[in-house]
Amino acid sequence: MRRTPILAVALAATSALALSACGGGGGFSSNSATQNSKSGPVKLTMMIGSSGDAETAAVKEATSAWAKKTGNTVEVIAASDLGQQLGQAFASSSPPDLFYTDASKIGTYAKAGNLFAYGDQVKDAGFVDSLVQSFTYDGKFYCAPKDSSTLGLQINTDLWKKAGLTDADIPKDWAGLETVAKKLTSGNVTGLVIGNDINRSGAFMKQAGGWVVTDGKMSADAAGNLQGLQEVQKMMKDGSLKFNTQTKPAAGWGGEAFGKGLAAMTIEGNWIAGGMKDFPNIKYKTVELPAGPAGKGTLTFTNCWGIAAKSPNQAQAVELVKSLITPEQQMKFADAFGVMPSTTEGLKQFGEKYPDSKAFVDGAAYGQGPVNLAGLDEVIGKFNSQLGTMTGTSGDPKAWLSDLQKNGTAALAG
Amino acid sequence: MNRRVSPVKQVVLYVALVLFAILFIYPFFIQIATSFKTDPDAAAHPLSLIPNPFDLHAWKQIFGQGSASVPFLTWMKNSVVIAVVVTVARVFLDSLAGYALSRLRFRGRGFVFAALLAVMSVPSVALLIPKFLMVNYLGIYDTYTAMILPLIVDGAGVFIMKQFFDSVPVSIEEAARMDGASIFRTFWSVVLPMARPALITLTILSFQGSWNEFTHFLVTTQSLEHKTLVTGLASLVSGQLGTGTQYPLKLGAALLTTIPVAVIFFALQRYFIRGANEGGVKG
Amino acid sequence: MRRTTPGGKGIRGREGIAGWLFVSPMIIILGLFLVIPVVMALWVSLTNWNGSVNPFQGGPGAQFVGVRNYTDLFAKDGLTRSNFMQSIGNTFWYVLFVVPLQTALALGLALLVNTKMLKAKGFFRTAFYFPSVTSSIAISTVFLFLFSSTGAVNALLGAIGLGQPNWFSDSRGLVHLLLGAVGVDNPSWAQGEVLGRTLWDWFSGPSVALTVIIFLVVWTTSGTFMLMFIAALQDLPVEVDEAAALDGTSGWQKLRHVTIPMIRPTLFLVITLGLIGTWQVFDQIYVMGKGNPDGTTLTPAYLSYQQSFGNFKYGSGAAMAFVVFAIIVVLTRIQRWALSDKDERRPLLRRRKAVTR
Repeated sequence: MRRTPILAVALAATSALALSACGGGGGFSSNSATQNSKSGPVKLTMMIGSSGDAETAAVKEATSAWAKKTGNTVEVIAASDLGQQLGQAFASSSPPDLFYTDASKIGTYAKAGNLFAYGDQVKDAGFVDSLVQSFTYDGKFYCAPKDSSTLGLQINTDLWKKAGLTDADIPKDWAGLETVAKKLTSGNVTGLVIGNDINRSGAFMKQAGGWVVTDGKMSADAAGNLQGLQEVQKMMKDGSLKFNTQTKPAAGWGGEAFGKGLAAMTIEGNWIAGGMKDFPNIKYKTVELPAGPAGKGTLTFTNCWGIAAKSPNQAQAVELVKSLITPEQQMKFADAFGVMPSTTEGLKQFGEKYPDSKAFVDGAAYGQGPVNLAGLDEVIGKFNSQLGTMTGTSGDPKAWLSDLQKNGTAALAG
Repeated sequence: MNRRVSPVKQVVLYVALVLFAILFIYPFFIQIATSFKTDPDAAAHPLSLIPNPFDLHAWKQIFGQGSASVPFLTWMKNSVVIAVVVTVARVFLDSLAGYALSRLRFRGRGFVFAALLAVMSVPSVALLIPKFLMVNYLGIYDTYTAMILPLIVDGAGVFIMKQFFDSVPVSIEEAARMDGASIFRTFWSVVLPMARPALITLTILSFQGSWNEFTHFLVTTQSLEHKTLVTGLASLVSGQLGTGTQYPLKLGAALLTTIPVAVIFFALQRYFIRGANEGGVKG
Repeated sequence: MRRTTPGGKGIRGREGIAGWLFVSPMIIILGLFLVIPVVMALWVSLTNWNGSVNPFQGGPGAQFVGVRNYTDLFAKDGLTRSNFMQSIGNTFWYVLFVVPLQTALALGLALLVNTKMLKAKGFFRTAFYFPSVTSSIAISTVFLFLFSSTGAVNALLGAIGLGQPNWFSDSRGLVHLLLGAVGVDNPSWAQGEVLGRTLWDWFSGPSVALTVIIFLVVWTTSGTFMLMFIAALQDLPVEVDEAAALDGTSGWQKLRHVTIPMIRPTLFLVITLGLIGTWQVFDQIYVMGKGNPDGTTLTPAYLSYQQSFGNFKYGSGAAMAFVVFAIIVVLTRIQRWALSDKDERRPLLRRRKAVTR
């Protein structure tokens, strides 16, 4: 009794679909490779992944200033889950014209044909070189870097003094880091607490001369990567380093452990200032990360102003971006919500205005951007899940790296 | 159960019941209390039901005007409008179809009902991508149309109404029809008033269902102004970590999401309980 | 069934038109937003659509690839299969815990509340049912707070001197923890691989993080099922009770040999609904971890969503959804078969008659 209707309904539906398919698929549209531009005043939509009201307000102010000057209008949409919302928007007929794009997503978006590559039109703005690399995929510079953050070493100055340490002890290399971390570890306080994924341990890999990807190919099996992770594991074995999930009680991220006094040091980026507002009693300062056997190394995190391949207003969108990447405008953003400018000139001004953030600024010169090849974010996700289970005595970094190499190579091939 | 329950047994029974009641209800009290706490207080005294200090910043943020990235008032408006429109449409269209399937003899009725049962057995997890495809295909992605239209009929509701009409005697409406009233007129002014208990149950189920709806809105909308309290809360909660945990705000928002259904629940409890049993047919 | 209607053919004709008119909104809406979309998604599951072009036009970005999306889930060594298999494994454990627990809790609460002479019956029933009517997203938010590292549950555990796990970032499986306690850790016999995962991984048990979601779901759904049991218990004839009392059977014996057999149809319904529901868990995962830690809260429903809207592999994501659909259908069939076999088919037949009435 029940099988027939299912079949019949499916048949009816198929024929209905076949009929309507002749009329073309209303909402789906194909994208165009050339620059689209409507003439006359247009309405641009911009989707941002905002850190809060301060950021949203600052972006709105900047875009409406441009809109007033040029006679266009700009609508700013603050997305709450930018990655997911963009994914859906790309598949619809009218994605936002402009949007924040995380560097780790560039490959995936570009490969699917969602991004309009306008890098050539803005490449003379004086961007920091590593940021340009972060937004270059398959030889094309896709979009203008919006801002940047780098990792630094945060030190709880009270605990530092209590352990008898002075400015001269600030670690310059791994040996120095091991020494101070051991001295700072006592009772429930761990010397160094870091997040449990590649976005922190990766700095050690970089300092040992390794990185996951080199020249568009997987290089996870390079010696430096293993050496970096082994250093993390060694300090873990000493008890002077823990992941945020291993402190007691466990913390959601490094900054939380640091703020609760469970950690004397942590490794975080510019956003630490915001995080520490929850813990006003902690006095701290940020220094550059210590160098490893292959020299200094840190990680850079960044977004760019992406422009949709399907946008009918690309010319105007590029004009808007140009107004947003001037050093003056970037400094306004920095004042409003703490991010660092993406141009060398802007960075210089930022460093002068915010001397406390000097370590972050210095790191920008040699920071390693995120892995940005298509399809690799899920591979990195898998690696992170393995790395997160590491302890001083268990876990096999070598096996994880070789998994990463294998999965990554497969993802890049297909 | 024995006629005379021994006092010991009775004490055990009540202790068990009270313990379970605490287990089921205490989280809601924590939720209410925490929404009036400061962030550090919420982290330091998670079990306490007394905010110390008493703090309104979460609620100010929810009802305040300055909150551009978390426009609760817009979400609340969306939730109310959508739940009301969907409920009204659903109650009408479901009972219309349920009545036809139960009472009106037309060619193909058996087939339509069997097809309805087949359609009802499709699990909602298999519908995320399909809904997204159709909404895009029609070009109504990220509109109120896409949010409301697919929800205005639901198979389970039609089924409940059909079952109900099957269970009431036909004599009254036949009398009405003998008097020459049209079929729709009979339905509207004779049948529907009779069906009041079922309609209330269906109203409750529809309101609760559309108010709490999540996945449908997740795949058919993107912009902040088309969020409902539920989808807005979900994105607030699953959003960026590391910018402070803000539990008072999140729990306040969750409370706001809970209140309308809770009010209706306490007011119309007995119908709810009936609905739960009839809703059991829902796949 | 057939009744003689006064009025003859004229009314029949009117009824015919009215009947179709009355059901047409339902047919249009369910057809347009349920039936046709499912067919569309079936088509997409046979393509490599990446979301940037029209999926029904073919060409780059939407090529027809046959059943490759399906076979890749089972046969192609790689991340997609390992994630999918992990999500299946997680769900297997999740179902294994949730369905028995929620059924037992619901039945237990129903028996308690259904006790004769109980005062405040309505209050208790309301208290147990209330979590069921609230939004799953709102409840998940509350549980995120309760089980956070500084949350209420840890405060409680700390107060009675127990350990305070970091619930949402602990990926260790319960079975692994149990075996670890007796000194078994990844033994050689568990190294064989099935569908790309070692036996050791398959037998991990639910992770600590998944356990929170198990608590949450048992807690929220028990109320609904309790009401179904109460309704069934109230329908029991009084004589049964009295006969059992005269026989002097103990409470437990009565439950096992009298009550449970008599509410078997409801038990069957509750277990079926439980099975269907647990294989689809999505909302809670979306709010409480999105598959983290270590993929141990991944479910096929969430993975399908993630694969489509996050990784732009809509074909693969749709294929996952249809595999889950098939699993649900097969499981309910198996369960129907297993339950009918034991009991000479009589209760089942009775039940069926009741439904198709």
